[in-house]
Amino acid sequence: MMQREPVNAVELSAIRESELIPLIQSLDDLDLSKFEYVSIHAPSQFPPGSEAWIFQELYKQLGRGWPFVIHPDTLRCDADWQLLGNQLCIENMDQRKPAGRTVRELTALFERFPEASFCFDIGHARQVDTSMVEAYKMLKAFGPRLRQVHVSEVNSQNKHDPLSFISILDFQEVASLIPASVPVIIESIVSGDEIRAEINRVRKALSVTTATAD
Amino acid sequence: MDQPSCTSLLLGKQLGKNWANIEAAQKLSAQTLAKLRQAFSDADSHDTSIVVYGSLARGEFTTGSDIDWKLLVDGIADPNHHALFLDAEQRIKKVAPKAVGREGTFEALASSHDLIHKIGGEDDTNRNLTRRLLLLLESKPVGQTLAHERVVKNILKRYLLDDRSFWRGTTVHNHHIPHFLLNDLARFWRTMAVDFAYKLRARSGKGWAIRNLKLRLSRKLLYAAGLLACFRCHLDFDSRERRRIFRGGHRSPDVIEVVHGIFSATPLDILASFLIKHDHLYRTASKIFDAYDEFLGILRDSKLRDHLEKLHERVADDDQTYKRARNVSHDFRDALLELFFDKTTGLEKLTRLYGVF
Repeated sequence: MMQREPVNAVELSAIRESELIPLIQSLDDLDLSKFEYVSIHAPSQFPPGSEAWIFQELYKQLGRGWPFVIHPDTLRCDADWQLLGNQLCIENMDQRKPAGRTVRELTALFERFPEASFCFDIGHARQVDTSMVEAYKMLKAFGPRLRQVHVSEVNSQNKHDPLSFISILDFQEVASLIPASVPVIIESIVSGDEIRAEINRVRKALSVTTATAD
Repeated sequence: MDQPSCTSLLLGKQLGKNWANIEAAQKLSAQTLAKLRQAFSDADSHDTSIVVYGSLARGEFTTGSDIDWKLLVDGIADPNHHALFLDAEQRIKKVAPKAVGREGTFEALASSHDLIHKIGGEDDTNRNLTRRLLLLLESKPVGQTLAHERVVKNILKRYLLDDRSFWRGTTVHNHHIPHFLLNDLARFWRTMAVDFAYKLRARSGKGWAIRNLKLRLSRKLLYAAGLLACFRCHLDFDSRERRRIFRGGHRSPDVIEVVHGIFSATPLDILASFLIKHDHLYRTASKIFDAYDEFLGILRDSKLRDHLEKLHERVADDDQTYKRARNVSHDFRDALLELFFDKTTGLEKLTRLYGVF
């Protein structure tokens, strides 16, 4: 589906634990030639007993040079994850999660993983603080680490909605702090025939000229 | 972990003062907040915060104090918020069985929508005004904190973004003063004063003395701290810093964060953190904090407090305890006047221009 859209970045998602092995097994067969940027989203939750094998599977893909987007509450064995260097891409979290929601919480994480890069989820940041002060502070504090941006409207039930009139206005307040060169991954859940319209809404929200999506 | 707020105590140390009542009240506040936070450590509703107000949030909690609290809702309305309110009430009662204020659900449940949207105008009732300003001036979340922080920042955003001269600087003096917020603080202070007279009539004088003293001291402190916090938006920065912060009128979230930082301190600490930087005001600082320490000493003494709670207006003028407390309130007022009409810091000019005319 993405082959038809005007996009040049993609995030390959294994959001559920069971999706990781099939994704990794298919990597060599995927036609990713049109994408200038590729990342992998690691499972968003798994039991502590699964951490070692999930890390090992991701570590084996290190040579591809792709960032691994990780939810901070899944990082338990610091010594292992530090081996991913700047390909460990820590995402700021929605309000349900116990870590990584605010600058204060993220600062503690980047102290544990000093080389890690940053996946700025603007929808999560807005859900945590609709004044957008926290989003602004994140971009100011972690701008040099910024590797990619997640965009969607995260509603109060933590679902990823298409951008609304209000979220577009809110996102515009911090858009100037996101360099145009940073890949944008759209996480809004839309039907196939709505993809182009959502890309345009994201363009409007971030005033970016290069459209990207997953 | 809650620590007693330290700027007031640092100021005391600087001045060689031992404000034992302030220190004890701060300690008890910190201990009580820690217990409440423990009681709500498993709270899992992210659209709500349990918020405490009053003496506990100000760091002035004494054994005779009530716990004033609200369930702040910043999300989708849900009939089960009532159940959440009842659960929260039980948890608070376990921590402080005798200290829970007697409020019904409707008084104790506050929706963020009115607080953020209805500033000024017909729909901004006394209750809404009071809730909004108390949230800014004396509130602390226990349990989940995000809803509280979000609402406070959004209220500040409303006040600041709708205030053109705050960003640009005033035309003649280039002052960066949040007029909209300052005027609402003044309205709140006058509302408290007017409501004091209203309640006196409505309650046939019951509790007059203690309410009178609270108006003269703790309520006045709230206003003084709010006013100073507004002035500190300008005074805390030199002209170079102001140019950087306000960036030629650019409405940066940095500024909201700065103002949020100033207002996050307790009222006593808002005063202390200004006074500690100006040694020519140390005498004034001593008077302010000596008076307030004595006031808290009266409140901490259960006999004196009970006496003042029962004292009728008719006989108050001849009552030794009331006369002593009233004298303390006069000292406090006079010291605040010294502070706000201090020329060296520039406060005098700001007070005349924005506090008077």
